Amino acid sequence: MPQENIVLKNCGVIDPRQIATFLERDGFQALEKVRREMTPEAVTDEIKASGLRGRGGAGFPCGLKWEGTRKAPGGEKYVICNADEGEVGTFKDRYILERDPFTLIEGMAIAGYTLGAKTGFIYLRAEYHHLFDLLENAIRQIEEFGFLANFTIEIREGAGAYICGEESALMDAMEGKRGEARYRPPFPTTAGLWGKPTIINNVETLMNIPRIIRNGAGWFNQMGTERSKGTKVFSVSGDVPKPGVYELVLGSSLRELVEGLALAKNTKMIQIGGATGRIVPYEQIDTPLTFESVLGAGAVIVFDQSRDVIDIVHRTMEFLAEESCGKCTPCRQGTEVMVETLARFHRGEGLKKDLKDLADLSEVMTLTSLCGLGQAASNAVTDSLQHFKDAYESRVAGN
Amino acid sequence: MVANGKEIDPVGRQICSPMPACRINLLVLPFQVIAVPIKQSMARKEIENEITLTMNGSPVSGRAGMTILEVARENGIDIPTLCHVSRLPPSGVCRLCVVEVAGSRTLVGACHTPITEGMMVATHSPKILAARKILVELLMASHPDSCLICDKANICELRNIAADLEIGLPRFRARKHYYPLEYENPNIIRDMSKCILCRRCVVACQDLKGERLFSVAYRGFESKVVSGCDQPVDKEACQDCDECITLCPSGALRRPRRPGEERAKKALFIKG
Ligand SMILES: Cc1cc2nc3c(=O)[nH]c(=O)nc-3n(C[C@H](O)[C@H](O)[C@H](O)COP(=O)(O)O)c2cc1C
Ligand code: SF4
Ligand code: FES
Repeated sequence: MPQENIVLKNCGVIDPRQIATFLERDGFQALEKVRREMTPEAVTDEIKASGLRGRGGAGFPCGLKWEGTRKAPGGEKYVICNADEGEVGTFKDRYILERDPFTLIEGMAIAGYTLGAKTGFIYLRAEYHHLFDLLENAIRQIEEFGFLANFTIEIREGAGAYICGEESALMDAMEGKRGEARYRPPFPTTAGLWGKPTIINNVETLMNIPRIIRNGAGWFNQMGTERSKGTKVFSVSGDVPKPGVYELVLGSSLRELVEGLALAKNTKMIQIGGATGRIVPYEQIDTPLTFESVLGAGAVIVFDQSRDVIDIVHRTMEFLAEESCGKCTPCRQGTEVMVETLARFHRGEGLKKDLKDLADLSEVMTLTSLCGLGQAASNAVTDSLQHFKDAYESRVAGN
Repeated sequence: MVANGKEIDPVGRQICSPMPACRINLLVLPFQVIAVPIKQSMARKEIENEITLTMNGSPVSGRAGMTILEVARENGIDIPTLCHVSRLPPSGVCRLCVVEVAGSRTLVGACHTPITEGMMVATHSPKILAARKILVELLMASHPDSCLICDKANICELRNIAADLEIGLPRFRARKHYYPLEYENPNIIRDMSKCILCRRCVVACQDLKGERLFSVAYRGFESKVVSGCDQPVDKEACQDCDECITLCPSGALRRPRRPGEERAKKALFIKG
C-alpha cells in the first residue's frame, strides 16, 4: 500500500510562521464549514463514521470519545492536545508541530466548537521548548484573522516526565499536582481536567480532523483496513540508513516501511510502539501495520543482527522503572524486580525459575496496574521471551 | 469461595470442596465485616437507586454510587485491602482489592469502582488470587525482614494478609530501602524503610485533620512519603492526633515509646 501524505500534507510546503501560506492551501475551510453548516452532533457523527482512532498509542475510537464528552453533563468543558510525545523513538509530533501548527489548531478549534468549550490547551513536552514561540505565533496569527472566535488556546509546558503523557497524569500535572495516573472510571470524557468533561487527543489525531471534515468520512474510511482507517505517521529510527518520519496508509506492511523506505538490512528485530511497545522478530516483518496487530504511537525502532536482545529489553525496563510514577504496587515494585532480574540475565547469572517468574509477573502487571505504563511495561519481556527464548536460556547461570 | 454462605466457584457454580487457595476467605474476621458502616455509606450517597448485579454467581444489590467493595462487604464477601479506609476517599494504589468484572480487559479495583446495573463480578477466582499473591510478594520483596523485632508485628496488616494468602519466602528480589529513622518529633516515629506506600497517612492527615503534613516525593521505586521537602516532621504542625499512626498498616509509623516505658511508673514487688 502506498505512502500517502494526508496528515503531513502541508509539512514542508507552507511556512509555519506565515498564516497566509496556510490559507492558500485551503486552511480553515474545515473550521468554516463546521461553523456554517454543521451542528456539534453532525461533527461527532462524521468523526464516528470516519473510523478515526487515537494516534497517541491506545487507538481509542475518536468519535466515541468526542460524543461522550459532548453528551457529558456540565457547562465548562476543555480540549487538550497531547503534545508530550514522550514515547521512546517517537518524533513525529515534533515534526508536525515544527512544520504545520495551523492544521493542529484548526483541529482543536473544531473540537472546541463540538463541545462548546471556551478553552483548549496544548500540553507541550518540556524538551520541545524551542517550539513554544512558533506555536504562540501561530495562535496569535489565527486569532488576528478571527478564526478562533471565542475559543482561546493556551500552551502548557511539561516538566519532563514520561508519565505525564498519560492522559490522567497529564491532567494532574496541569492542575499543578504531582503527575500520577488516576484510577478510572471516571474517564476524562466525564471528569477530566479540573473534574470537567475533557477531550484529550494526540497531535496526529487532531491533524486528521480538518481533513475528515473537508473531504468527508467516506473519503477517509476508504483508506486502511476494516478496523484501522486512514494513514499513520511513523517515526523510524535505529539501524536504518534512512531514519525519519513516514506517512503510510494503515495496513501497509512493516517490511514496506522498514526495508522499502528506511532501507534497513540485516534486521534482527523491530520494536514498535516504543518502550511499552511490542517486539517483532524479523521473521514477522510482513505483519501489517494496524491497530489490530501492532502500532502504538508509531515508533519503529529497528535493531540489526549486531544487537543483543537482553541488552535491549533490560535497557527498556530501566527506562520504565525510572519513569514509573510509583503510585501503584505492580508498576512500582514490578518494574524494579524486572530490572533486577534482567540485569542478572545480562550478566549471565539468570536462574531457570526466573523465566516463569518473569512471565507470571508480566501478567499481573498487565492485569492490575493503574495505567498504560504498568500495563504495557512487560510487553518487551513477554515478546522477547516468546521469540528469543534462547537468548534467555543461554544466560542462565551455569550454561 | 464463600458467598452468602454458599460454596461456589468463580463463575457461580456450586462446588463441593473449596480449593485450598480459596480457603482464605473462610478466615473472614468478624470485625472486618461489622466494621462496614452501612448507615454511614447510605447517608453519604444522595441517590438511592437500587442497582442489581451478580457477585460470584449470586444476585446482589446495592445503591447507585456504591463501590464493588462496599457491596461485597455488605454481603459478607471479604476482599482484602491495604490502602483503603472506609471513611476516607479511595486512593486505589495498592491494587490488592482487584476483582474480575465481565467484559473488562484488566482486573478492576473494587475499592474505587462504582457498581453498575447487571455487572458480573468475581471476587476470588484463581486468577485473582494469583494476582493478589504476587502483589503482596512484590511488597514483601522490598520490605525489611525485621518482623521478629518490629513493634507492630502483631497488628501489621501486611503480615496478616501475607499469612492469609499463604505467602512464604518472597519469590522476587528487589532492593530494600534503609532510610534513617525519623524520631525528631515527640509525637511520631517514622521508619520509612517499612513503608508500603499505601498513602493512608497522606490522605488521613489531609482529609481528617485538614493538614497536609505528608506528601509523596520522588518517583518509581524511589517514591517516599515525606514531610515538607523530605525534612523531619514539623514539631508545630503535628498535633499528636494519632490518626496516621493508627491507620498505618505496616510498622512504618508508631508512637514514640522507649523500651520499657510502659513499665516505668509501676513498681511491682513479688516474692522471690
Ligand atoms: C505512559 C504513557 C505515556 C503516554 N504518552 C503519550 C504521549 O506522549 N503523547 C500522546 O499523545 N499520548 C500519550 N499516551 C496516551 C494517552 O494516555 C492518551 O491515550 C492519548 O493522549 C489519547 O489521545 P488519542 O486518543 O488521540 O490517541 C501515553 C500513555 C501512557 C500510558
Ligand atoms: S507510612 Fe504507613 S500509612 Fe503512610 S504510606 Fe507508609 S505504610 Fe502507608
Ligand atoms: S484497597 Fe483498592 S487499591 Fe488498595
